[in-house]
Amino acid sequence: MQWMTIFKKELLGDWRSMKWIWVPLVFILLCIMDPLMTYFMPRILDSVGGMPEGAVIEFPEVPPTEAIMMSLTELSMFGSLLIAAITMSVIAGERKSGVAELILVKPVNYFSYITSKWAAKLFLIFISYSLGMLASWYYVDLLFGGLSAERFFGLFIFYFIWLIFTVTVAIFYNTIFKRPGIVLAASVGTYIALSILAQVFANRSPWFPNNISSHIRSLMASGEVSSDLWIAAGVTVGISIILLIASNFSLRKAELAE
Amino acid sequence: MEEITSMLPIIAPLIVIQLVLMIIALISLIKAERTNGHKALWAVLIICLGYIGPILFFIIGRRQD
Repeated sequence: MQWMTIFKKELLGDWRSMKWIWVPLVFILLCIMDPLMTYFMPRILDSVGGMPEGAVIEFPEVPPTEAIMMSLTELSMFGSLLIAAITMSVIAGERKSGVAELILVKPVNYFSYITSKWAAKLFLIFISYSLGMLASWYYVDLLFGGLSAERFFGLFIFYFIWLIFTVTVAIFYNTIFKRPGIVLAASVGTYIALSILAQVFANRSPWFPNNISSHIRSLMASGEVSSDLWIAAGVTVGISIILLIASNFSLRKAELAE
Repeated sequence: MEEITSMLPIIAPLIVIQLVLMIIALISLIKAERTNGHKALWAVLIICLGYIGPILFFIIGRRQD
């Protein structure tokens, strides 16, 4: 009951602040921008002109499986920044303004408070991400050639696990820090640190959450889900669950300290 | 010119998305009682920076309270 109340309140809040309009639009933009640009680049260069006489630039043929990966590259860069930015004040903002105290003096479980907010943000991001990837699939199909539904949904589901992880990291920092700006900085710092670690130890630990997208790349090429991808996905889900439980403790500790 | 008109049906959604973002950002700017920073400055940013202006406004321009 309580859980649903907070969940609905959060959805309503996102609707009032127009997040339900602009977040999906920005996800669609992020997902379709790169495939479109790649497709039109030769023609844009042609019509802009300014190339020396006789200059020939060979553009490599882009297979549809590569084209759809461009959307993921954009999402990994700007999408995670956007996710951290829309999640940065979900709990921290309420603690700063004192709303959280009003809610938590009532018999509301910390865990249901955190998970309902987590689920509400995840729902918004899931809808936005679905719209963005469907738009990207449509354009890739139209401009680069067919992409099988099997591969698309493999990519879609496994990448969403990475998005769950990014939301959970941001929620976790929400329970530690009170200022939204610091939550944003800490979340983005974590994503960057993880991606550096993943690159350094790429050979030794292929199960880093960040390696999900490189495993998806090989899934797109081979059409088969490698065992590394399964394990990386499992590890990512596991870390997310641990982070959610840790958020519960850190919020309780922070609220009791006051 | 012919090149550009042939691209138009495919590019059109991008332009529509950008316009919608700009319009809802402007509406919410006008409705907001207070913003972080001057309102007129935000109006210029939203209109001139393409799709980056509205995103910046929604993330840092709006006051949560």
